[in-house]
Amino acid sequence: MASKFGTPEWASALVSEINGSSEYRNAAKSWGDGFNGNMIFVFEADEQLASPLHLFIELATGSCTGAEFVDRDVHEGAGFTLRAPFTLWREILERKTMAATAILTGKMKVDGGKMTLLKHTAANRALIHCTASVETEF
Amino acid sequence: MDRLFTPLQERLDGVVYTPEQFTEEHLTNYGRIHYWKPRFVVKPRTTQDVAETVRFAKEHGLFVSTRGSAHSQSELGINQGGILLDMKSMDAIYEVDEAACTVEVQGGVVWRDLVHHLKRWNLSPNVLTNNLGVTIGGTVSMAGIGVSSFRYGSQGDNVAAMEVVTGDGDIVRCSREQNPELFWATIAGLGQSAILCQASMMLRKTKSMTRTYYLLYDDIRTFMADSKKMMDDGKWDYLESWASPCPQGTKPIDGERRVFAKWFFPFHPTVEFEPGEEPNDEEMLAGLDYYDHLYTDDIPTIDFHERLVPVFELWKKAGTWEYMHPWMELVLPWETAADYIDQVLPDLPPGLLIGGHILLWPAKGTVSHSKFFMRPEGEDLIGFGILPAVPQKFWPQVRPMLDNASLLGQAMGGKRYLSGYINFDEELWQAHFGERWPELVAAKKRYDPQSLLNPGFVKYGDALK
Repeated sequence: MASKFGTPEWASALVSEINGSSEYRNAAKSWGDGFNGNMIFVFEADEQLASPLHLFIELATGSCTGAEFVDRDVHEGAGFTLRAPFTLWREILERKTMAATAILTGKMKVDGGKMTLLKHTAANRALIHCTASVETEF
Repeated sequence: MDRLFTPLQERLDGVVYTPEQFTEEHLTNYGRIHYWKPRFVVKPRTTQDVAETVRFAKEHGLFVSTRGSAHSQSELGINQGGILLDMKSMDAIYEVDEAACTVEVQGGVVWRDLVHHLKRWNLSPNVLTNNLGVTIGGTVSMAGIGVSSFRYGSQGDNVAAMEVVTGDGDIVRCSREQNPELFWATIAGLGQSAILCQASMMLRKTKSMTRTYYLLYDDIRTFMADSKKMMDDGKWDYLESWASPCPQGTKPIDGERRVFAKWFFPFHPTVEFEPGEEPNDEEMLAGLDYYDHLYTDDIPTIDFHERLVPVFELWKKAGTWEYMHPWMELVLPWETAADYIDQVLPDLPPGLLIGGHILLWPAKGTVSHSKFFMRPEGEDLIGFGILPAVPQKFWPQVRPMLDNASLLGQAMGGKRYLSGYINFDEELWQAHFGERWPELVAAKKRYDPQSLLNPGFVKYGDALK
């Protein structure tokens, strides 16, 4: 059943999706090993989203221990922030644009060690795939 | 008949062809990504012919593109509506100067012909590309990398002097001492400032035999550590390496189950020797940490230079030579190379390599002095190339994979080698040349003020205004 984007139910469905993904488990086995792998996805308001949304995801060594929408675009527990207009996020989640391309062309902004993110491209591609796989009602 | 045919032909010793005489090879290049149709193909005989062609083009507002063996894969070696100079007709090899170890050649000479011409003197160009079927003018204009580049730099670094034709139609002799700005603007200059018509190439004495050790590595970092030792120990004449897949089954990649592989790294270090003075294998391989030593091969040096002919013949027989070739080659900083390769290889479909291969080449950035052959800073570098043969119908699937591998490599400090599939916008061209971009633009403005030469590849945007 589809969950409404931006709700606790959607965040909970994302945790299940990540932890059920062998692709993520394998690709991300070294993600967060020796560094803070928690992330915030910032969905910036635009013509498709009235108010911004901030998704905080706790990630380490191939698994996800929690996800929630938070009030602010910063979180003391986050190691990385991926920031883009909602329309671009939606294109990524609908597989019309590749996240790696968005990051590499600067359309998606990264805070927190871009080189670390690039060194774990496969892990982050798998994470985006998990996010895209959540049955979503926008 | 085209109204410009006769006036052009009358000015040349060479031959002018019109579209009804073109073959398919004049419409595309090895990449088979772009198909362009020129108004004329000119097969020049002399530097004077090239100069006359450029002057004629200038008078009539036509663009001029140059073509050697057209191994480039983007908008080079082809022309849309102008004049395509088929330089392979300029294939004369002149005097060999044994004392100076140089040979004077026309730009359309194919490296294979030069190699065989020189064998009677036991001489060889300092650097040879893997494919000897390409021209001297073509590879020098690109850089020209080979398995001895870790010692001698690019083929462009081994030009002693050149005779070139500028975009104004002027014939100019240049070298490190004479017109050095034009000399360095022509080497790895992508034909943007001048056309290489004749060159004096540096040579070296070779021994008659080579011994190649077929080593195998199962880890990129171990391979890199050993390749650094080999670049530094002075024992080796040639270093050649690959990445080779051993398919393992399927796994989900971006949600789709795809074949994946464990990647191994064949490494073929080679040393020249004379019969009776065979290298001591134990000494040569001492201190190396390879996974396996599969074979040791002794062949004449001339055959070593031709070692890939059977591979290319196989690709031709199998038909993959006719596929698209969107090669994606990068020179990577030593510090990020292993991480980059770790990200790219595991998800690369092994089937992509039917009719192609993955190249690795340990390199020394400091042995090249070429201004426009862009490489990362640092002494030790690793070249990495995904060299697929792609059936046209798979191009939409393969293209984003190569685009991302290219972008990722550049984000990790790599520089693209420009003979392959290049999909740069103006911003990426500027980023590629970095602080050299203004120099490239200045050279273009000075030597090709009307932007006649080899248009369509480098995206200058407003920079030339």
